[in-house]
Amino acid sequence: MAVISKDSSMSSASYSKRRLISHWAQNILLIVMIAVLMSPIALMVVTSFKDRADITSSTAPLIPPVWHFENYREMWEYVDFGPLLMNSIVVVGVTTVVATFFASLAGYALARFPFPGSDIYGLTVMGTQLIPGTLFFIPLYLTFLWIKNHLGIPLVGNNLGAIILYIGFYTPISLWILRGFFASIPPDLEEQAMVDGATRFTAFLRISLPLAGPGIVSTAIYVFMTAWNELFFGYTLGVKTIPVGIRAFVQGAAGTQLRYDYMAAASVVITIPIALMFFFLQKQFISGLTAGAVK
Amino acid sequence: MTIKEHTVTTPGQGKKNNPKRRGLLYQMRKYKIAYAFIAPAVLVMLLVHLIPSAQAIYMSFLDLNTSTLLQYLRAPFVGLQHYQHILKGLISGEGDSLIRNLTQAIKNSFIFLFWVQGGTLVFGLILALLLNRDFRGRGLARTLVLLPWVVPTFVVGIIWQFIWLQKGGLANRILFNWLHVVDKPVSWLLLKNARTALIIPAIWSGVPFMTVMLLSALQVVPDDLYEAASMDGATSWQKFRHITLPFLKPVIVINMMFGIVFNFFGFGPYNIAVSLFSSDKLGRFVNLLTIAIVQQTFNNQLYGYGAAASVLMMVVALIFVGIWYRLFRSSMVSE
Repeated sequence: MAVISKDSSMSSASYSKRRLISHWAQNILLIVMIAVLMSPIALMVVTSFKDRADITSSTAPLIPPVWHFENYREMWEYVDFGPLLMNSIVVVGVTTVVATFFASLAGYALARFPFPGSDIYGLTVMGTQLIPGTLFFIPLYLTFLWIKNHLGIPLVGNNLGAIILYIGFYTPISLWILRGFFASIPPDLEEQAMVDGATRFTAFLRISLPLAGPGIVSTAIYVFMTAWNELFFGYTLGVKTIPVGIRAFVQGAAGTQLRYDYMAAASVVITIPIALMFFFLQKQFISGLTAGAVK
Repeated sequence: MTIKEHTVTTPGQGKKNNPKRRGLLYQMRKYKIAYAFIAPAVLVMLLVHLIPSAQAIYMSFLDLNTSTLLQYLRAPFVGLQHYQHILKGLISGEGDSLIRNLTQAIKNSFIFLFWVQGGTLVFGLILALLLNRDFRGRGLARTLVLLPWVVPTFVVGIIWQFIWLQKGGLANRILFNWLHVVDKPVSWLLLKNARTALIIPAIWSGVPFMTVMLLSALQVVPDDLYEAASMDGATSWQKFRHITLPFLKPVIVINMMFGIVFNFFGFGPYNIAVSLFSSDKLGRFVNLLTIAIVQQTFNNQLYGYGAAASVLMMVVALIFVGIWYRLFRSSMVSE
């Protein structure tokens, strides 16, 4: 930096003054942008503690004079949130574990073995991402209905159907993220273990899987976040997860008076698990996602 | 000694066995463990993506609706009728209410895509550049920028309702009560305003991911390039144009491609819209393509017709990816 100001045609004093001004202008711009990004979230939190009538009043203060903590308890009962939460935890939890495991196996195979068909398989995995959900879901939905009606296996209106669908839906993209991670792990350690008598699968389980830890964590977070969010398939399959339940609550109230206070409280509750997980594992998650993208 | 023996014997052996070694069956047997590893993933992909997609393409040639639902894949075969119906309607600009609804949704989707992708890129780029400097509190700033990312998309729609409320909403408080730039409170969710009310939350929700991706690309730009350019008297714009941008290009190209495809037929915009307007029957300015197809297929139970519309949507996406790849091949396969 010193070299630059010496060589610059400007006098060193005016140069550094200009730099300082531009530095502060940039800081102010950044602060404004961050404030704009955060305000909807701050508003959500504040609204969840407001009196119902104050939310839709233009004269009521933006910050509530009285904080209504009971909005949360009332929302929980009004929406019957407990069962929704339970269903979401089961569906999203099982999906995350199984999809990430299947994707690790396949991602590992794609990274390690140049087996015949590996190119086509890799392309097919990418290709699945170009199939619209509205396309493959039509026959899937009708098949699930048929199975329920003829074989009595409750794939519609039950968590099972959503779990099967989500595992299939999230495996390809997870596989793609994980492939890069396994490719970056040197194969020497596994080979050493196999010389010592381990099978390929134990070598994978004991050595490669732990080494790919950051990648697996970021894939799992990705799957969890997206599945926690999934509304359309769950709604059509009649699964009572959180998004589906909240949608029914919001739409059911639409004709009458919207319970904005409960909607805000529910929004906070739904966002908290994701926010906690995200911020505790932020470093790993971001390095995981960007490692695949920037090579 | 042993090494030498090894190198001497191997080529001879290799030559003798070469034809057999190259054989497909030999290779498949050699890597049979790989097939075991991919088996579960292949199975679920077949069950959820591939077989249903093949069935859906077949269904697009069938007259499968409420009355023929029980016949399933044995519903009357109508060939290309659905496709003709849709394409004729789209090209001529007229047709029944279904087609008019679809035409409107396509137009809305393109407008939505243009603004959301453009907005996300511009704001993501500005934020990434601002965050890539040295300043106190950089770690905190980087974390705060990510906040919108953790909000599930269907919650995004709900919380933006609080901003767009005509009475007491944040937007009208700022524009009408505080700044007085509008002469009466705006009804954000009505008519053409609804378009803005949908596009802004979508940008808000997409900016963090774009910022993270661009920021990680910025971090690999070597500092000495900028220093060398400064010594040659380059302006800030020249440095951005000729050093920063080439490093960012591959990330921008890939992210824009996926962003466009996912916003075109993915369910992120669907989630935001459905919860923002508290309904899946959307007004004529915000009715997006995915929402229209979902409505027509599942609510009207027009499965054959819906399959045809989805196939057409997929074809458009494939053509787009093909063109994009042609245009930016050098940035996409940089290895």
